[in-house]
Amino acid sequence: MHCKDWEERVVLHAGGDLPADQAFAVERHLAGCSGCQVLWSGMKESLDLLHEAHAEPLPAAAYTAVRGRVMAELARRRIWRRYWVAGLAGAAAMLVALTLAIWPEHRVQPLPPVALAIPKAPEVQLIPVSPSPRPRPRALERRVVARRKTEPRQPLLVRLVTDDPNVVLYWIAD
Amino acid sequence: MILAVLAMADAADSPQVQLGLIEAARAGDLAAFEALMRQHERLVLATAFRLLGSLPDAQDISQEVFLKLYRNLGKVGAEATIAGWLYRVTANACHDLRRRKQPAAPMEFVEDLRAGGADPQQAAAEAERRRVLEMSLRILPEKERAALVLRDLEGLSTEEVARVLGSSEATVRSQISKARVKVRGFVERYFRSR
Repeated sequence: MHCKDWEERVVLHAGGDLPADQAFAVERHLAGCSGCQVLWSGMKESLDLLHEAHAEPLPAAAYTAVRGRVMAELARRRIWRRYWVAGLAGAAAMLVALTLAIWPEHRVQPLPPVALAIPKAPEVQLIPVSPSPRPRPRALERRVVARRKTEPRQPLLVRLVTDDPNVVLYWIAD
Repeated sequence: MILAVLAMADAADSPQVQLGLIEAARAGDLAAFEALMRQHERLVLATAFRLLGSLPDAQDISQEVFLKLYRNLGKVGAEATIAGWLYRVTANACHDLRRRKQPAAPMEFVEDLRAGGADPQQAAAEAERRRVLEMSLRILPEKERAALVLRDLEGLSTEEVARVLGSSEATVRSQISKARVKVRGFVERYFRSR
């Protein structure tokens, strides 16, 4: 019989799973414990058999089958994705066309014209300036400025008539 | 360019080549993805087969894993090794499949084993021993079997196994130890009873 306290460490050591310090301790124990030696050698043998049993590769056809299935699935998904993209694009285009066709009032309408009534500007009277008979001999020439005699300026009145007869806008500009 | 990448893939499985294949596959090149699959199909299918003990189930899982790989090429490219990602996804997929399916009772396997070896004279002793060892894996609890398969059959380090299974190294060591003892006990009992 092997030592229960050492069982886990001996088993791990058989598979090379212990760090160096613990492996060294197990080696020392194995040197003086025949029961654990049997466990260790049996475990080594069992691991070798396990490796051997699973060393045989799986048939190549198994890999080929998986590869074929995956590639077929990817190709199928790619085709479906193309259909989806084309379908969605077509549906979006149809939706836009329908929107424009069914609801023409959604188009941008021009603003209603605004009638403007601008009063006639007051007439300005110009007084002609009489020319001087002869040039003045003075060195410093005096310019005679014709002064326009105007009446006091009337403010500019702009009357804005809207569609609503009750609403009339006046714009008075000085 | 893709042909050059494929030619390189045959030559070596270096990370640069893998990254090139991943990038090409991400760009939609199915040939590059197939090359990537060829590099890792043994890992996925053999691991799934050892975890599940059924080739059709293992093939289904492999298909699922590779389709998942295709969807996650961006994430996988950022990982240190694609193998670690594949081991983790394969182990999880096998776990999910076993949860979905009704788990077979260990005794059922033992009876199956005895039935298969009813006429040992017809089968070579070596073949029988192999079969016994294969069957011994099936009697293990799922976690212990996963730890044993990844450590002893796939050759991952304890640290890598812990990362794949999402456990601590101490837990994995304990699981490996228990699994080895059980496998050995099963084999000894079987041959002693014959």
